Amino acid sequence: MVGHQLAGNLIQGLILGAVYGMATMGLSLIFGVLKVVNVGHGAFMMVGAFLALSTFKLLGLPPVLAVPVAFIVGMLLGFIFYRVAIKKLIKGPELSSLLATFAFGIILEEVVKLIYGSEHRGYNWALGKFSLGVTVVPYTKLIAFVGSILVAVLLYVWFNRTKAGKALRSVVEDSEGARVCGINVEWEYALSFAIGLGLTVSSGVLLTLFIPVGINPYMGGHYTLKAFVIAVLGGLESPYGAFFGGLIFGLIENGSYLLFSSFPSLEPFAMTRFFSFVMLLIILLIRPEGLLKTK
Amino acid sequence: MKAKKYLPFIPVFVAYLALFLIGETVSGIWQLIAMLAFYCALGQAFNLFMGMTGYVDFGYVAFLGVGTYGMAITISKLYSHGLGFGLIAIGFALAIVMSVLLSLAVGAVALRLRGAYFAIATIGVNEGFRYLIEGAKLWNGSEGIIFSGPLRMAFGRQTATVLTTFAADVFVFIIALAAAFITLVYMRGKVGYALTALREDEDAAKVMGINVTKYKIIAFITSAALAGLLGASAWALKLTYVYPPDVFEITYTVEAIIIVLLGGAGTLLGPIVGGLVYGLSKYLLAIILPGFQLLIFAPVIIFIIVTFPEGLVGFVKLKTRGTWLENYIV
Repeated sequence: MVGHQLAGNLIQGLILGAVYGMATMGLSLIFGVLKVVNVGHGAFMMVGAFLALSTFKLLGLPPVLAVPVAFIVGMLLGFIFYRVAIKKLIKGPELSSLLATFAFGIILEEVVKLIYGSEHRGYNWALGKFSLGVTVVPYTKLIAFVGSILVAVLLYVWFNRTKAGKALRSVVEDSEGARVCGINVEWEYALSFAIGLGLTVSSGVLLTLFIPVGINPYMGGHYTLKAFVIAVLGGLESPYGAFFGGLIFGLIENGSYLLFSSFPSLEPFAMTRFFSFVMLLIILLIRPEGLLKTK
Repeated sequence: MKAKKYLPFIPVFVAYLALFLIGETVSGIWQLIAMLAFYCALGQAFNLFMGMTGYVDFGYVAFLGVGTYGMAITISKLYSHGLGFGLIAIGFALAIVMSVLLSLAVGAVALRLRGAYFAIATIGVNEGFRYLIEGAKLWNGSEGIIFSGPLRMAFGRQTATVLTTFAADVFVFIIALAAAFITLVYMRGKVGYALTALREDEDAAKVMGINVTKYKIIAFITSAALAGLLGASAWALKLTYVYPPDVFEITYTVEAIIIVLLGGAGTLLGPIVGGLVYGLSKYLLAIILPGFQLLIFAPVIIFIIVTFPEGLVGFVKLKTRGTWLENYIV
């Protein structure tokens, strides 16, 4: 019985984990290339969530169709924020870029609050479910799962098989060397910041399929925290590390929920959130270079 | 020579005294003055770590939160023991103990880490602690603690009113002064020199034989203890309740960052100037454009970082270098 429940939870965790993983790739990409931590990460995901909501409620279309729109919106925001601040702060102390991305997040939250208000809003996009014996999976979550893996694969192909991706990797390896070889390093920075935010905003679209209580402008905060745990699990600098970190995190989160709910004196939902914070500290303490990094 | 070191404390003292006297003499503005004093104190305490080390603690509000709990627990558990004002003293002591313990736990992990990793380690502290209280149903869990009743029973109605409406704010002034004084002592002593070296180049400082970690811990713990005291007075004593989502709200960390940046990180007078400018503009904005404060202040943060990183006091400090004023503006 408990075994069944655990298997069911782990399957759900794996599905959610793939979305978590995709949601963290942008964070790791930006840190890997620019050495900038996007402290406003969750706020960018929130923008994607609201794009999904609008697509469904205003246009009556399936919310997943918002993914490409979200990617473009994210890229535009990326280019604007890069031009306004990040460009000048890359070489400065870390404090500046941390505070700048933090401020970007606040701006997004406040603008969305202005448009949509601060109440929770939800939508119900149902396509039916299928049974796996130990658990029931709605088709919408399956779409999010497949979509996340697809995005991860696309990013991998772009990175490793195209010229533009190779140019970007050369900047990560050695930005001075890349400059000597005629690569426009400035442009590569701007591009990776934009792609990173594009990924982050589109992950917010897929994430809404997992939030039954609805979304609000301040939902991003604890996704920032989760994304940090995941990114650190995956070594912080590698988007693929982040993807696998997400899978692991999804499994741990859903597994620990079951564990916490077996203690009647605990409130399991709040405890899983506390646990993800403790996990972050433990990983940073024992292996700050990430669990998945072999170097 | 020794006294000259502490000359910059004169303008700090005069500023807080003036603020206090204005609040006392002009009727009807005590609440505004108390708010300004809170922001100045928050800035002073936050600046002690962020300004001196260049590290941002995104979970700073957690120290105010546990300090609030320290006072709340003391009053709600010990009110019937006839301790008199000892009750308040124990409350402050517990607030310090709790915030220092939390800072040791966080610091043990975070202070080993550099720059970005430090920020990542601290960003979840307030959320993490809030969910521990709610999840493990600690200290009444998500319901929080209301202790206006116990406070009245311990001190009587009249004294309790004076405590919440006046004494709590006076404590905030005292904490602000104490924070400023400690900042100055640190600045003019070994801690300050070590932290300046660290801020400029951490590796070089280490190679020169400076125990960087030790000084970071000193600044971190001091800053946390002051935050605990601030929570115990400005939140616990003043409001007589504690509710987890309120006292771990990240907005207060944002406000501390804005205040320190506006005034000038690492300066002594910066938090006062930043706290006054921020507090007054927040007050006015709440009247003219309610709900828009953060939307206006977030771009201000970006503007300051990009074009004006030294802040207001930092700017004046540069301009007055070499004149008689340089002894006072620090």
